[in-house]
Amino acid sequence: MTPMTRINRFTVIERMFHLFLILTFLVQTVTGFSRLFISTIWGKNLTAALGGAETSITIHKWIGILMIAGFMVHTLYLLTRINWGDLKNSLFGPDSLIPNRKDAKDLWKRIQWFFGLGEPPRMDRWAYWEKFDYWAVYWGMPLLAVTGLMLMYPILTSRIMPGWTINIAVLLHRAEAILAITYIFIVHFYIGHLRPTSFPMNEVMFSGSLPLEEIQKEKPAWAARLNQSDALNHRSINPPARWYRVFYYVFGYAVLGFGIYLLINGIIYSRYIPIH
Amino acid sequence: MRKKNRICKPLIFYSVLCSVLLMTAFGPLSGPVFAQEELASAIRRYKGYEVSTGYYEEYESLPRRQRPFVDVPDLRSSAFPYSTTSASVRSRSHLADSHQGIKFYWGRRCEDCHIHETLDIHTTRANLTCRQCHGGEPIAGIDHYYSPLNPIRRHAYVCAKCHEGAGASFAGYLVHEPAPGSIKAKEEFPVLYYSYWFMSMLLIGTMAFFLPHTILMGIRELFGKKKEEKNDTDDTH
Ligand code: HEC
Ligand code: HEC
Ligand code: HEC
Repeated sequence: MTPMTRINRFTVIERMFHLFLILTFLVQTVTGFSRLFISTIWGKNLTAALGGAETSITIHKWIGILMIAGFMVHTLYLLTRINWGDLKNSLFGPDSLIPNRKDAKDLWKRIQWFFGLGEPPRMDRWAYWEKFDYWAVYWGMPLLAVTGLMLMYPILTSRIMPGWTINIAVLLHRAEAILAITYIFIVHFYIGHLRPTSFPMNEVMFSGSLPLEEIQKEKPAWAARLNQSDALNHRSINPPARWYRVFYYVFGYAVLGFGIYLLINGIIYSRYIPIH
Repeated sequence: MRKKNRICKPLIFYSVLCSVLLMTAFGPLSGPVFAQEELASAIRRYKGYEVSTGYYEEYESLPRRQRPFVDVPDLRSSAFPYSTTSASVRSRSHLADSHQGIKFYWGRRCEDCHIHETLDIHTTRANLTCRQCHGGEPIAGIDHYYSPLNPIRRHAYVCAKCHEGAGASFAGYLVHEPAPGSIKAKEEFPVLYYSYWFMSMLLIGTMAFFLPHTILMGIRELFGKKKEEKNDTDDTH
């Protein structure tokens, strides 16, 4: 093991999915906020910057359809990642994103560690909060998709179900969006950028690979598994090119700044809109 | 290289398939609007679509023109409750002029007295005026028999003016919904109330867990880092 051994964590396709989600999520947040806050001066400015309420909602709808398609494609991709021959290990093994008993134990150990009562948990490839991140998106998107389609075609919806379900759809769509936005722009950004171990930026979702040393510190159980398997010998992954690093630092911080801008204004102006 | 192709090709194929399916189901490829269809019996087909009580062919007893010797209810407080069950009654809902007998009504704006009703998206976002739905003077109570907003004809007389193809089920959308977290909502629209509290609890629960969790993690890592650096310097000296 040379000190610079790098391990692949995300494939190109997986990183593309993440990028796709960043871009679409940001557009949906901006256009959605422009609609939610339309009665305030900030919402009016946002709407004007987007080219008016009509344009804003049209963008919102098209990107929504794109997200639904992306969600379906991702689900199909997920099916291709399952090793059907060894289903049990593939679903419940350490490389799987499905929560298992170890996650509960890790959480308990971590809470003890917060207060100085013991060692931090020896985490494997996916930490429990990373699994939560993944599945939160996974159930959030269908909810937003279904309620979004209901609002996109309210007349059609009212033929299938009673009209008051539209009131519920508005509520759920809005509440789920607010939940996702607060979670992403506070917790997810904090974990990805501001946490001391990640600061100034956790690059792996953009570079795809990370040094083995880092894994040893952060995810010892995974590192132990990697050292055991002979997979290590076959890897010769180059660190990301400098121009690419510059590029994703700029991109990452642009998104971060924009997200914080939206979040703060959203909090400030939430007083002036009827969400109750 | 071959492995990559095995994944990429189906991905492209399925995404195209999904978009076509979506377009057929909802988009430009779906059929004509409901109201544009020509059918022998509009009512039968119409009821097939509706999720409602089915008032259309029945006759109610029609209201008489005036009630000369009956006071406007709820205006003069008296010793005895208005309703026989002592429950409070929204008695003005059945008047032809819902503001009958209210002093200083003329010259005031609707939002002076009905502040809650100005919060719906038709008013705040679509910029409609109250009269575009409630009509000119006199403004009928919602449940007056001839009121345009009476649920038996609301969809046709009001909603369909702007929403092409609106049916009675669509008119069941609550335009002035109560504040979803309020006691009023619990009584009038429990599903809204419970969805609201469910989503609020989800938000509060997620944040109550993850905010302290991540912040504590950050603080602990900060201390850990300091210690490590110290150890490093100890090693070198
Ligand atoms: C002076 C205050 C006042 C003003 C101004 C006023 N209203 Fe009212 N309105 C009332 C009161 C009081 C009631 C009876 C409330 C009740 O019974 O719950 C009422 C009842 C109604 C109802 C019937 C409610 C039902 O239960 O069916 C409608 C519809 C209505 N108002 C619409 C309007 C509109 C539209 C305007 C503006 C053009 C307006 N009001 C202006 C005081 C006012
Ligand atoms: C999109 C059409 C529409 C517009 C615009 C509208 N209303 Fe209504 N209003 C309704 C309907 C439908 C009802 C029946 C109950 C419901 O759906 O909330 C109603 C009910 C009411 C009631 C009865 C009490 C209640 O809350 O159920 C009042 C009072 C009222 N409206 C006042 C107003 C005022 C004041 C405005 C203008 C700020 C206004 N409405 C704008 C459609 C409208
Ligand atoms: C004068 C025109 C007009 C009338 C009458 C009208 N609406 Fe609307 N309605 C609109 C407009 C415009 C919008 C779009 C608001 C927006 O998207 O900003 C809208 C939006 C809606 C929505 C979508 C709500 C959402 O949050 O996306 C529903 C549901 C709705 N109307 C129901 C009704 C019902 C039920 C009635 C009859 C009581 C009615 N409307 C009467 C103009 C009208």
